[in-house]
Amino acid sequence: MDKKIFIVAKREYLERVRSRWFVIMTLLVPAVIAGFVVLMAYIGTRGNASNAVRHITIINATDTDLGQRVANALIADTTLGPIGNDSIRPRVLNVSAADLAATEQRVAAEVQIPNHIVGYLVISDSTIAGKSVRYAGRNASSVSDTDKLLSTVRENVTMIRLQREGVKPEIINDMARTRLRLTSERLNERGRSGSGAAGLFAGLVVGVMLLMLILIHGQNILRGVLEEKATRVAEVVISSVKPESLLAGKVLGVGGVGLTQQIAWFAITGYLISFLMPIIMKGAKLGGAAAAAAPTSPVSSVLSTMSPMVIGVAVAYFIVGFVFYATLYAAAGSMVNSEQEAQQAAAPVMVLIMSAWLCVNPVMLAPSGKLAVALSWLPWSSPIIMPIRMGLTSVAPVEIVGSIIVAAVGSIFTIWLSARIYRVGMLMYGKKPSFREVAKWIRYA
Amino acid sequence: MSDLAIDIRNVVKRYEDHVAVRDLSLQVPRGSVYGLLGPNGAGKTTTIRMILDIILPDSGSINLFGVANTTNGVMDRVGYLPEERGLYKKMQVRRVLLFLAELKGINPTDAARRIDEWLDRFSLRTPEKDWGEAKVDELSRGMQQKVQFIATLLHDPELVILDEPFSGLDPINAQALKDAVLELKRRGKTVIFSTHIMDNAEKMCDSVCIIARGEKVLDGRVTDVKRAASTRHVALSLVGGVQNGVSEVLHDTSLVRKLDDNANFMELELAPAADSQVLLRRLLEAGANIDRFEMMQPSLHQIFLQRVGAQGIETGMSGHG
Repeated sequence: MDKKIFIVAKREYLERVRSRWFVIMTLLVPAVIAGFVVLMAYIGTRGNASNAVRHITIINATDTDLGQRVANALIADTTLGPIGNDSIRPRVLNVSAADLAATEQRVAAEVQIPNHIVGYLVISDSTIAGKSVRYAGRNASSVSDTDKLLSTVRENVTMIRLQREGVKPEIINDMARTRLRLTSERLNERGRSGSGAAGLFAGLVVGVMLLMLILIHGQNILRGVLEEKATRVAEVVISSVKPESLLAGKVLGVGGVGLTQQIAWFAITGYLISFLMPIIMKGAKLGGAAAAAAPTSPVSSVLSTMSPMVIGVAVAYFIVGFVFYATLYAAAGSMVNSEQEAQQAAAPVMVLIMSAWLCVNPVMLAPSGKLAVALSWLPWSSPIIMPIRMGLTSVAPVEIVGSIIVAAVGSIFTIWLSARIYRVGMLMYGKKPSFREVAKWIRYA
Repeated sequence: MSDLAIDIRNVVKRYEDHVAVRDLSLQVPRGSVYGLLGPNGAGKTTTIRMILDIILPDSGSINLFGVANTTNGVMDRVGYLPEERGLYKKMQVRRVLLFLAELKGINPTDAARRIDEWLDRFSLRTPEKDWGEAKVDELSRGMQQKVQFIATLLHDPELVILDEPFSGLDPINAQALKDAVLELKRRGKTVIFSTHIMDNAEKMCDSVCIIARGEKVLDGRVTDVKRAASTRHVALSLVGGVQNGVSEVLHDTSLVRKLDDNANFMELELAPAADSQVLLRRLLEAGANIDRFEMMQPSLHQIFLQRVGAQGIETGMSGHG
């Protein structure tokens, strides 16, 4: 191996990593991702009812203890967070039907006093009959708060009515304590393999990362080659190093930049999320359900579902996938003389990668279907499709190994092809070559 | 160890619709300054690129220092300044030079020391300003030319190849380049450069090769080339201009093959069988008042025009750049 490859790779790597753009992108992307994740988690917690539903007055105009029952249920509800001081507890006013209007007027006035109760709930005979219950308060437009009140009242009405029908109080209490939570687990032929959602997430992350690597850094290679050509520095460089080595060094160096950036993205995003999440969650509340619902750091959730074997396979696809596209981008860059022409020349490469990406959705719906299997054997789609399939279902080892070999052979072919185009194209100035001319270059180089 | 820095034998390079280089052989002795002369499109750049193994010949062999030019490491002994010049625009000057030196096998610490020396020498590093720290595109065109030249010589190559080195140079930088080439020669380096500016070639080169249409027209030491053509040329200057009878003599094709009327004197090329003494006698008989009659050596420019023109190459040809 030509050691000049590493000199070229070193230059490509250092010049890019030193650039202002690299620093900005490396810091900005994790900030955006982490901000988004934390925001979603925050919105998720806001989806639960707030502690405000406890800060109400319950006007009970029935001859039952429904008012007190609802109050007790709200106090006991852990999804509303821990119980604070005594003032943030429901107050129950038992009134006669005749006094209802006067009491309601008085309580309504209280709601309007700042930092006083948030609202009031009116329970009447109509409520016991299962028809209606009224709520008035500052948070009346919060769907989650009113839903919480409604479900709490409904539960307790049901219990009172069961009691009236002669069901034993112990049975009723037992029923009242029933809490259900759904957990899902993925099963395959070899047994359990972790949570279904995490598997898909891991596969998608690998696929998206590769896509971004190719789109961002493949374009970077294209632009780098074009720059060498446009500034005419190419000829000096090629007089010192073989075009093939120059090409290899470029792909290596720029690939290294991409890898550095993605590792940094992972690490910074993970750090930001683990740093921000507790702050945001404290601001909301730390009820058991809310804490469980909060997403853990993406790094740990992705890594936890990946065995060393899976990581190895993902890395293999990453490398062959990047080399496949990066060399094609380099060849496209060597054929042209301007940025506009470069976009045209890169269009076929873009079509290849986007065709693979557009198939991700159908593949996710049928990870073992004909389309998914076919795409796993095509060198330009397998690096993106395979990790997603492997996250969703179990893929036969033969298929994985075979597909990596096909993709590797495909990459070797594009290296060979691109090196020939590159060798001639680098020193060819003037008009953009036709396909016929490029075919000639490949033959004559 | 071969005495030849470059030994090209029977090299052919064909493209789809034309032959760029046709059966070219040339030898460049070590330590000489060698000029590759020819009109545009003659195949000079193609020849140079083949010497540098940038493009491969269809047939023939190219040896540098006695070994094939495809031998590993042989290019590390060659410095190249292409006609189309350029550097990485957004890169720091020092880093560009370091990169190019490393590609030639110089270790980074050694390269850093040499870069400082060269920057000092070309006044790119002064107590006020170190242009080595600047980005390439912050430099003026002249400074960039200097940096490019440093890049060519930084690894102290034994063979320096310059493709049209004078194109785009202002007179001051052109003179600096001439001085640099002569210094390289003094230090025993071999320099080969292509040009279509004959005056420069005549002043600087030990040997030349004139090529046209991809073929060698002539080659050899400049003194030999000129001597070979010398006896056939006469510088003639007349007091009172050309009278009728004299004009008749000058247009006698059995005596004079070609007549160049310069501002101060006429340059005559004798017809193949003619004798200069016969011409002189005929002119005196015709009543010419002769101020100067001198057997002269033709300039390289004339030899070039004569030999290349004889082959009907007219397009793109340029005598004085």
